Amino acid sequence: MKKLAIGIFLIMISYVVKAQVEKVDIKTSAICDMCKSTIERDLAFEKGVKFSNLDLDTKVITVEFNPKKTDADRIRKRITKIGYNADSMKRDLKAYEKLPACCKDGAHRDEH
Amino acid sequence: MNKLYVAVILLAIPTVGLGQKTIRGIVTNMANEPLYGATVQIAGTSNGTIADVSGNFELQNVDPKDKIVISYIGYQSDTLEVQFTSIMNIVLNEDSEKLDEVVVKGHSSTIDELQPMLNELISERELLKAACCNLSESFETNASVDVSFADAITGAKTIMMLGLDGRYVLISREGIPHVRGLNSRYGLTYVPGTWIQSIDVGKGAGTVINGFESMTGQINVEFKKPENSEKWYLNAYANSFGRVELNASHTTKISEKWSTAILLNSQYLGSENDGNDDGFMDIPKSRMLNFLNRYKYQGDRLESQIGIQYMKVNLAGGQLGFNFGDDLLSSSLYGYKNDEQRFEVFGKIGMVFPHRPYQSWGFQYSLSRQEFNGGAGKRLYKGNEITAYGNLIYQNIIGNTSHQYKTGVSFLYDGFNEHFISQLNRYIDSTFTRNESIPGIFYEYNYMPNDDLTLVAGIRTDFHNLYGIYFTPRLHLRYAFNEHFTIRASTGKGYRTPNAIMENSQILVSSRRLVIKEVPTPEIAWNLGGSVVTHLDINHKPLSIVADYFHTFFENQLIYDQDQSSSALVIYNLDGISFAHSFQVETQYEIYKNLNLKAAYKFYNVQMTTNGKLQQVPFISRDRFFLNLAYATKFEKWKADLTWNWNGKKRLPDTSDSPEGFQRSDFSPDFSLVNAQLSRGFRWGSIYLGGENILNFKQNHPIVDPENPFGDNFDASMVWGSVAGRGIYAGIRYKIK
Repeated sequence: MKKLAIGIFLIMISYVVKAQVEKVDIKTSAICDMCKSTIERDLAFEKGVKFSNLDLDTKVITVEFNPKKTDADRIRKRITKIGYNADSMKRDLKAYEKLPACCKDGAHRDEH
Repeated sequence: MNKLYVAVILLAIPTVGLGQKTIRGIVTNMANEPLYGATVQIAGTSNGTIADVSGNFELQNVDPKDKIVISYIGYQSDTLEVQFTSIMNIVLNEDSEKLDEVVVKGHSSTIDELQPMLNELISERELLKAACCNLSESFETNASVDVSFADAITGAKTIMMLGLDGRYVLISREGIPHVRGLNSRYGLTYVPGTWIQSIDVGKGAGTVINGFESMTGQINVEFKKPENSEKWYLNAYANSFGRVELNASHTTKISEKWSTAILLNSQYLGSENDGNDDGFMDIPKSRMLNFLNRYKYQGDRLESQIGIQYMKVNLAGGQLGFNFGDDLLSSSLYGYKNDEQRFEVFGKIGMVFPHRPYQSWGFQYSLSRQEFNGGAGKRLYKGNEITAYGNLIYQNIIGNTSHQYKTGVSFLYDGFNEHFISQLNRYIDSTFTRNESIPGIFYEYNYMPNDDLTLVAGIRTDFHNLYGIYFTPRLHLRYAFNEHFTIRASTGKGYRTPNAIMENSQILVSSRRLVIKEVPTPEIAWNLGGSVVTHLDINHKPLSIVADYFHTFFENQLIYDQDQSSSALVIYNLDGISFAHSFQVETQYEIYKNLNLKAAYKFYNVQMTTNGKLQQVPFISRDRFFLNLAYATKFEKWKADLTWNWNGKKRLPDTSDSPEGFQRSDFSPDFSLVNAQLSRGFRWGSIYLGGENILNFKQNHPIVDPENPFGDNFDASMVWGSVAGRGIYAGIRYKIK
């Protein structure tokens, strides 16, 4: 019984380790740390997404995902739903309106 | 003495500040949770402050050209221009590079570094580790507070700190004493866990500002606030005992300055659980409704809060088959019943002076009435209590902010009415009626020349209409040798009036005779202790070690003596000595990526004079072990928790005079309780699955002679372990921001 349990556990682990991962770079309209945190947190709960990291200098988010569960367009779509442009896809305006002031166009203008 | 008082107050008369500008604000994270302990500092200077429990801060001597730096462990620091006109709302982002460690390492319970007292904050995150259910259970993942079953009938859980019963702890809700008086036995059970935003646990003597009652510590509970809680919060919960619970809260911003919150809790347990086959329910059936509505006004100079709370609970337990509406006396079954209602109005008014930030007025108040109606078997209990409380606090500095003081007056009215009737063995009818009216004054001086040293000296004098003058001195000292090593010491005196019947469920749930040898007088105790907090860096990860020792000794204590005779409970004022030594060492470390370990060892030497000799207080383990393993992935998508509590053997009351077969051994065996929980986060909230007491440890035969509940040997108060066995629960939390 014990051996069986360990066996199943090992198989699960090897499955997780071997699970295919693809990467995609998406240009967003993120402007501040708050945006970065909002997008990364949201994508962490998106189906199939393994990891994401947004570089604020280039505004590009690198997303690692399982291609069996999702695809790059779905991830772009999700980013627009959070309120940000994703490559050529335009942001959802309703979501954008709800973003904190510092994440909207024109905030931080004096800094740039 | 009086002259000294006057002199001190005269010295403290406010010196006028020279129009230095002040900023105020609130620091939160993205989830709008306050960041308690965030530092706010003027860039390039040492002028700085720390955000309080609610995330609020206030910083003086600020120049309009200054920039402030806000930082908090695990979050990205932010630099902002100062703003004098309004409250600055500062939101810090989690530091994504460090996040992996921080999610776990930003230990959800932390020692507050700058507090002069040894204070531990239990955040909402920590509270979520024990999704079950009320305040008494919220401490199950905390090492400093011990939780145990009170007896085998009422299902109540009691807490213990520094080796002494929770009644010696001042338990307050947002600074207003809350679980006290007749509420002290069951009050914790009636505070819904989902309402709590955070809990502050302070060990040892507390501040004089909140009264004379705290002896072994203070626990302050912050409820969800209208201004910083999510718009909607829904929670459903069910467990394998058949209990279902629904919780909801809603906050609304009414206008620029007004906001409101409604909190609702309802629970129902209709099934009868008897895991040990003794014919008695392990946990009573229950129906409960709890409602709170609060309003907050935030003006430029004036801040005010007002709230109402209503609670109603019906419990029905005892022998299987006893129901909610049944009458105890006419029933052939041994039943247990408690119908309780509580109504309260509470609030705060605070005023600040825009140009003198160190100066403020505050007034806290509460008016409550509660009533109990119930009993067990043929013993009936009726009680009610009316409480009025007001506390006016004035805060200012002497010369500069190194010397601060708080002073004020308080008033407490407490009308008690307790009525106990026993138709068992022989008829006993005792009534305790007491009206306490206690005005008091207090003064607390705070010397904080730098971040390393804090000295707090407080005195208060209360004029008790029944028991005369209470003089309460308290002293706290903190010194940080460096950022890795802090020591603290404290001492103080405390008083409280015992409530002989309510504090002893053993009178209700046993056939012991009640022998009250003399009129109870106030309990008086001294507490002194010290602690050492160290933070080390091991493999670039912080290792923290906290060691503390506290000694409590009683000048007077109301003794509930179960040792004189196994067929009586003898109540008298302490004749001899009574003390508690408590030693605890606790350590926290991230042992593996995302896996945090918290371990503690506790030693209690608690003795009091019962039956004419000094002996170990019953039902307290001398040695205890605590271990908590917490695992969390990034953004807390997955969280797992495992808590192990080992309790050493406990002394049991002397039963050598019982008939053979009804005697109990002198000591209980040692035993372990293990809880575990797994939760999965989503964008909208989370779901969780957990188990309490998953090893299914049960005390065999918790009730003495359960076959004859109306006989002479029946006793359901000899409980040292878990009465109910394993409980599995699951629940869902849904939030709309």
